[in-house]
Amino acid sequence: MKNALKIYRKEIKEVIKNKNIWLPILIITLMFSIIMPIAFTVSAGSILKDPDTINFINKVFPDSQNPYQTLISFMVKQFIIFLLMIPAMVPSLIAPASIIMEKENNTLEPLLATPIKTSELLLGKTFTALVPAFAISTINFIILCINIDIVSYIKTGVTPLPTWEWVIVALILSPILSFIITMLSIIISSKSTDVRSAQGIGSVVIIPIYAIIGLQIAGFFMINITYLLAGCLVLILICPLLLKLAVKIFDRENILTKWKMK
Amino acid sequence: MIKVENITRKFEKITAVENISFQIKESEIFGFLGPNGAGKTTTIRMLSALIQPTSGKITIDNRSPQKDGEYIRSITGLLTESPGLYEKISAYDNLSYYSSFYNISEKKRKDNIKKYLKMFDLWDRKDDIAGTYSKGMKQKLALSRALIHEPKILFLDEPTAGLDPESAHMVRNFIESLKKEKTTVFLCTHNLEEASSLSDRVCIIKKRIIKIASLTELQKNKKNKEVEIIFKGNTKKYIKTLKQIKEISGIEASKNKINLFLKKPETVNPIIIKKLIDCGAEILYFNEIKASLEEIYLDLIKEEEK
Repeated sequence: MKNALKIYRKEIKEVIKNKNIWLPILIITLMFSIIMPIAFTVSAGSILKDPDTINFINKVFPDSQNPYQTLISFMVKQFIIFLLMIPAMVPSLIAPASIIMEKENNTLEPLLATPIKTSELLLGKTFTALVPAFAISTINFIILCINIDIVSYIKTGVTPLPTWEWVIVALILSPILSFIITMLSIIISSKSTDVRSAQGIGSVVIIPIYAIIGLQIAGFFMINITYLLAGCLVLILICPLLLKLAVKIFDRENILTKWKMK
Repeated sequence: MIKVENITRKFEKITAVENISFQIKESEIFGFLGPNGAGKTTTIRMLSALIQPTSGKITIDNRSPQKDGEYIRSITGLLTESPGLYEKISAYDNLSYYSSFYNISEKKRKDNIKKYLKMFDLWDRKDDIAGTYSKGMKQKLALSRALIHEPKILFLDEPTAGLDPESAHMVRNFIESLKKEKTTVFLCTHNLEEASSLSDRVCIIKKRIIKIASLTELQKNKKNKEVEIIFKGNTKKYIKTLKQIKEISGIEASKNKINLFLKKPETVNPIIIKKLIDCGAEILYFNEIKASLEEIYLDLIKEEEK
């Protein structure tokens, strides 16, 4: 554990220095947690002037008393999914960079020649991807909540966030998703020598997230606590399998004889 | 200190190392030579508990790398073929990071970092990013890293590659000095002059072991030995006499010098001298030339290829 923390401390310093990692994260944060929610909440009044939108709200939410509040509640559900992009994207940027940098510099063999355990090395790399993912997701969650609540309060006198759905997404679903992406990134990085191709995993994972958004907007279903908990359960079941595979790949012998090196 | 018994390492269908055995004593410098792809790196990796042999047994400091890998790695230092440094952090931080995985006190760690950076003339640039170092400086930094925990056994893969002659000389002197500290050195190199000047014994390998011996023994056992004779005057008239001696397998003559190739100079030399004197030769100089490690190595590899 001590050695894993040593790895984490060194790696995190390098992540902070690497603008290829933090710049996209900063852009996504600005976009999804600040600009989009503010823009939407502010412009909700003019959106409601459109008769098609009113028809949509009346059709999907027949019991709606206040269309403005209904629209905000509907969009809050969309933003939950946007919130999942951050825990998916952050590890997919960090984990491949961290592993492929070791390959590029041929630093793995000297590191493995120390008394370090490969489990500690894997843990250190996992921390490096997971800790910032969780921290950035939580920060985004808080920023998004504050933004929507302030603007919504000014417009309607109501603070819609946080809801239980949001808490589940921020504290349970996001870390699980980050863990899955980290493990997938590690597995893919072992076979890749190129950071960009290994980082592609993030963009692949984002596709189902877009699909959920699309299906929700199309009125196929609406995210609720039951769906979210079911989603968490399915993803939790995948975690041990991916961990087992990552541990197998992160074997000293495997790294030195089977990993694709530069 | 190191005992290797009949180890073989296969990578799927390819056999990298086949049935090799040797022993290395404490504080011995053991030269490990062979062409590219001969299995040198695989052997080093097996000895430093990085990979396992497919079959056979290794014992290091009375322990097995298969069972006590962590212990073996704590008493060994490895200089890999490429320096393998973190290019975006400083030289000092590189050493500090790697040394943090060994069970040595913070003070000892700092003292050793200072000691080796100073020894290899890197102290003044300790805070520079390793990526800005020249090839030679990186090699010296990598060597410092291998030494930082004062290992009992040091595995060196091309330790002087990329170094300028002055630094290479310094590194060689340093390797030699490790004997006094009872450090066992496993030296893998293509520089045969370096191997012959440093090694107590050399092992020539090409998947299998071709020969293990000290340089003196190798020279003694060389099949064709060379004798050099310098005459007063032209050599032409003596060649006919020399050709009559059956034990001489080859003759190379120039103006006043003849080089003879023979199997047993200790018995043939007196016959040669007698015959030459009998036919009136004035010998200015007679010398048995000791074969260099390079010649011996090339002969052995060529023989193995046959």
